[in-house]
Amino acid sequence: MPHDLTDSGHRGLHEDTAAIVVGGLLVALALALGWSARPAENAGSRKAFPKGWPNPLAATIDKPQTWDDSPAQSLSDKKGKPVTVPILFGMAWVVGVLVGGTALRGRSVAAVLPGAATLAVLGGLAYLLAAQKLVNHYNLEYPLWALLVGLVIGNTVGVPRWLQPALQGEFLIKAGLVVFGAEVLFSRLLELGLPGLLTSWVVTPIVLVVTYWFGVHWMRIPSKSLCMVISADMSVCGVSAAIATGAACKAKKEELSLAIALSLLFTVAMMVAMPPFIRWAGIDPIVGGAWLGGTIDATGAVVAAGEMLGKEIDDKRPAEVAATVKMIQNSMIGIIAFAVAVYWAGWVERGSSGPRVSLAAEAWHRFPKFILGFVAASIVCSVLFSRSPENALWVDGATLGFTSRLRGWLFCVGFVCMGMQTVFRELAPYLASGRPLVLYVLGQCLNLALSLAMASLTFGWLFRKVVEP
Amino acid sequence: MITPRLVGLLRLAGCAGIVALTWLVVLPRVGHLPPIARHVRAMEKAEVNPAAMVYTELERLPLRPDWAHEQIMLWP
Repeated sequence: MPHDLTDSGHRGLHEDTAAIVVGGLLVALALALGWSARPAENAGSRKAFPKGWPNPLAATIDKPQTWDDSPAQSLSDKKGKPVTVPILFGMAWVVGVLVGGTALRGRSVAAVLPGAATLAVLGGLAYLLAAQKLVNHYNLEYPLWALLVGLVIGNTVGVPRWLQPALQGEFLIKAGLVVFGAEVLFSRLLELGLPGLLTSWVVTPIVLVVTYWFGVHWMRIPSKSLCMVISADMSVCGVSAAIATGAACKAKKEELSLAIALSLLFTVAMMVAMPPFIRWAGIDPIVGGAWLGGTIDATGAVVAAGEMLGKEIDDKRPAEVAATVKMIQNSMIGIIAFAVAVYWAGWVERGSSGPRVSLAAEAWHRFPKFILGFVAASIVCSVLFSRSPENALWVDGATLGFTSRLRGWLFCVGFVCMGMQTVFRELAPYLASGRPLVLYVLGQCLNLALSLAMASLTFGWLFRKVVEP
Repeated sequence: MITPRLVGLLRLAGCAGIVALTWLVVLPRVGHLPPIARHVRAMEKAEVNPAAMVYTELERLPLRPDWAHEQIMLWP
């Protein structure tokens, strides 16, 4: 096994390589166990297996369920089945990933264990806060509460010395992104139809590039990575895009936290305000659904807003169109993150310092290698997914049953770590200037205008006959 | 004797108290207000998970809609 000497002097793999190894092994394990448990009958029937083949690992991981009055309600699912053990296993998976990553990086595993277990419990607490029914239904996702939990601890009692070796937020986010790659299926794009594809793929890159350029060159925001993270979460698909591009452009913890908070707050506002506005303005519900899908950041909020819009006219198509457009945007994360990583390594960082060597050599040197693991997982699962209906259900079973839940835990605990390492004072300059907020609002205005124009063109005119019953 | 550690612990306890009060008392009460309760019921009936970060976290996986029969051929 190749070894390099990390900057801290430990003999072991680089953090990015360790993230690829750990994340890749977990995806491979989920696929292998899914294949070994393939059903004997109806293996290619989506009707029989709407969420893919049952994966044996699905029983080993879950998160606190939605609760209303008492947190105890979070320990059983909607059918009344207890989920305490899978929740504990979920925490154990996080500890396992931290231990595995630490060992691969040549550090002391024993020193990490107590901190890893504590962080996993804090991740569970963040999930519990996010699972409160009102919080859940207004799309205030777990990263916000994970950051809050970490911020409160880090800025009151501080991080105890015994916990510090386990404080590997970046490693957890990187490993989580490699695992996330299995959910980003390019091949789904081919299933989703031309109108949705045009609405997503034309507007999103334009809004991303224009907002970034506007923030850097016109508003003169000093941090390019902050502009990129805000542009990506606003134009692509919220928190998940912020995490992926933030890691690709090496954004600071404070910048990622700010971008996520902005995204979630505007998501709530847009989810509530846009359906009544669409009805009030007399916009066609199908066009309105596409507009919701192209503009609201978070996937769940898009579907909720589509349902609100469709409920009034007793029509499921607005929600269907909204979900389709957003799903295509979800599938773009891999391409966007890869493009941002290449641009950052080749142009942004290269221009700042260092001797002039060839562009390719320097870009490769600076390139965040874990992105390759993310893209590789995405390509492998996309190819498997597209080979046959059976394979599509195999991949769905592995991703919906295991990797998406594991990725959630890794991100959640990663954000707890990031919150602990964030100092309130360092957030103050970003908040005081107000410029990130202005950038988000202006970018979102552009997104709203372009998405409405493109949705009217595709769903309202060019492909109208396709969408109509 | 008030030490920095004690101050930190008191601050942590204060924050924990605010969080507990908000999550155990305020949010459940707000959630039972008629317009909000109606919205939550409607979402639950439609099996929507508004907190889904990506499509894999939705209650129902968005499948290829009937209208999306325009196949895109990237190669023959």
